[in-house]
Amino acid sequence: MTTLTLTNLAKRYSRSVWGVRSMSLDVKDKEFVVFLGPSGCGKTTCMRMIAGLETVTRGRIILKGQDITDLPPKDRGVSMVFQNYAIWPHMNVYDNIAFALRLKNVDRKELNQRVKKVAQMVRIEPLLKRFPGQMSGGQQQRVALARALAVEPRLFLMDEPLSNLDAKLRVSMRTELKTIHQESGATSIFVTHDQSEAMSMADRIVIMKDGEIVQTGTPEEVYFQSANTFVAGFIGTPPANFFPVEWKNGKLEHPRFQLSPPPALHQAIENHGKNRLILGVRPESIQVVREEEALFIAPVLVVEPQGSHQIVAVQVEDEVVKLIMPPACGVQPGELLPLTFDSTRLHLFDEESQLRIPGY
Amino acid sequence: MTIPRPLFQAAQKTTLALLVTTVALTILFPLFFLFTFSLMSDYETYSEWPKPLWPHSQVRYRMEKISPQTTRLLIWNHGQSQWQPFGPEHIEANEEVAKKLSRFLTNYGNTTLSPSEILSHVQKAQNSGFHEFTAQKSLSQNYQRFFRLYSGAADAVLHSLSTALLTILISVVIGGMAGYAFARYVFKGKDVLKLSVLFVRMFPPVAIAIPMVVILGRMGLYDRPAGLSLIYSVNQIAMNIWITASIFMGIPESLEEAALIFGANKRGAFFRITLPLAVPGLAACAMYSFISSWNEVINALILTQFRPTFPVVVYKSLLGANAQVHLIAAGSIAQAAPAILFTLIIRRYLLQMWGGVKV
Ligand SMILES: Nc1ncnc2c1ncn2[C@@H]1O[C@H](COP(=O)(O)OP(=O)(O)OP(=O)(O)O)[C@@H](O)[C@H]1O
Ligand SMILES: [Mg+2]
Repeated sequence: MTTLTLTNLAKRYSRSVWGVRSMSLDVKDKEFVVFLGPSGCGKTTCMRMIAGLETVTRGRIILKGQDITDLPPKDRGVSMVFQNYAIWPHMNVYDNIAFALRLKNVDRKELNQRVKKVAQMVRIEPLLKRFPGQMSGGQQQRVALARALAVEPRLFLMDEPLSNLDAKLRVSMRTELKTIHQESGATSIFVTHDQSEAMSMADRIVIMKDGEIVQTGTPEEVYFQSANTFVAGFIGTPPANFFPVEWKNGKLEHPRFQLSPPPALHQAIENHGKNRLILGVRPESIQVVREEEALFIAPVLVVEPQGSHQIVAVQVEDEVVKLIMPPACGVQPGELLPLTFDSTRLHLFDEESQLRIPGY
Repeated sequence: MTIPRPLFQAAQKTTLALLVTTVALTILFPLFFLFTFSLMSDYETYSEWPKPLWPHSQVRYRMEKISPQTTRLLIWNHGQSQWQPFGPEHIEANEEVAKKLSRFLTNYGNTTLSPSEILSHVQKAQNSGFHEFTAQKSLSQNYQRFFRLYSGAADAVLHSLSTALLTILISVVIGGMAGYAFARYVFKGKDVLKLSVLFVRMFPPVAIAIPMVVILGRMGLYDRPAGLSLIYSVNQIAMNIWITASIFMGIPESLEEAALIFGANKRGAFFRITLPLAVPGLAACAMYSFISSWNEVINALILTQFRPTFPVVVYKSLLGANAQVHLIAAGSIAQAAPAILFTLIIRRYLLQMWGGVKV
């Protein structure tokens, strides 16, 4: 069952500035959807339109079968966690959380219970009497979460709620948010431009660029079935490497190598019928092999140790190609590495449209 | 040459302390000076040098027998530490003279002695050659006399108060609303408009006195607190727009948006979120409005006639031929006190903190 439907939603700020060009999306019940995209791609704008803080230029917003496009924010049954928390500094934590319930005339006893319940959920019970100014960033952020949870919304919006936290807290909050989501079962939309956050939290990722949706899918889909070069180049740390190739005599030809694709891919390329292609290879799909098996040999530029693994940058033609190697494998800059690709994990895109070649 | 660090820090601290003391003194010293003078009697004001730091609360008198019929009155001069003649050369023991002396002692010594008390003192002096006694000095007497002497002073306080309160009401409400608009909305000519509201402060009141009188007269507001407060508000609104605009700009819009999402309408969001957060700033505006209207003289001189404000009365008392310093001091203190009181009351809101953090 769908909760939220966006149809051709668009927002134009001024003649030439579009916040969102066109967005169509279905969000299912209890789903955790993440909007992911580079800065300025319209994530916040979209979220503010759903919340009712921004007027809509074009398109409709349907929530649980009800058209809420022109409703004022308070009648939408939507709650939101702001990027900068926006908790009210002149109220203590309890009053912050109880604000919405008081406006709804929830009776005293139930109000108290609900505040206690959400405070417990985000683990800020001992802080209920404190003022926001007396709390750490992480605690403030939990208050913002608790406040949004207390109203038991039809839809739960979070605009980069973790972006102001330190790296460690951010990672632990991810897990917590996920737990809270499972406990509360609220349909949620989560905005971020941190792709590892998106990958680890999302049921479904919506990747945006320049005010439009580029791809919608599970983390596995966007990672392994990236819809175009933008997605492949955006997702993954480090993202995919690209090689311009030409389809000639049943082989992918690059100035440095010739590659015979596996049969399924071969068929797909034939069906597609174009010669100029882009080959995308994820860093972990590049393997170091013995020299006789190598597709090509490339000199190492930099080695970046990451603890659990190492990112090795090598030079291929004029491009820098990154690959992942096990730790302490003793690779030195300047060394020549014989490399090959895991041919089951190749991505091929049309050079002209930058879109993925269908059918493999 | 490098100055050793401890020395430098000590110098820094000393300079700061000196600075703070200077500022405190320039504010406190005149006030203190006026206050002590306002408690002195005429005799103390004009005949005792040097002045005591703190005025005496009692006056010492001495009656001396001159002849079987006559007595003379002496007063203890604290400055010269000796008895000095005070009042008439000699006092006969009769009702008429005692009444006169009683009035004299009230007016020049700030002491209240009834004629019968005086007669009994005279009697004691006649019996034993001399007689010393002390009388309680009335501390509020100068204030009472100021308000009795300058007729309409009490009414003037009321006029001043209503003018000031009206000014606060008008200028904070209008200035605050305009400030909010300047802070939150985008419209054409905003900057120009914001700058131009300051132009009204550039006209010297004397230059536009006649038109102001005429216009207020036509409106039926000449010589009335309401009319005066309108004039003050014009100036004050400009100031308040600037103050409140920056206050509202400092309150993130997302706080209001959060209120909208959590069930408030636009008005509710303003009154529940933005307004409480703006209270310290608005209190500053109110204080500024109060003080500037409470102390204003020039416009008030021009725009009032039979219903002057208190500063006008004080000003006129200064011009009086028989300048009586201690009375004027009393008037000045009476003028300063409400402003100080108002500041102290509003201080609570000025320094309002939410959980230890200033907003
Ligand atoms: N109030 C506004 N007026 C005019 N243009 C705006 C306004 N708000 C946003 N924009 C423009 O709309 C586009 C989308 O902005 P938006 O804030 O939605 O980006 P975002 O995806 O949330 O970015 P970020 O990750 O940096 O938060 C941007 O190009 C931005 O410049
Ligand atoms: Mg944003």
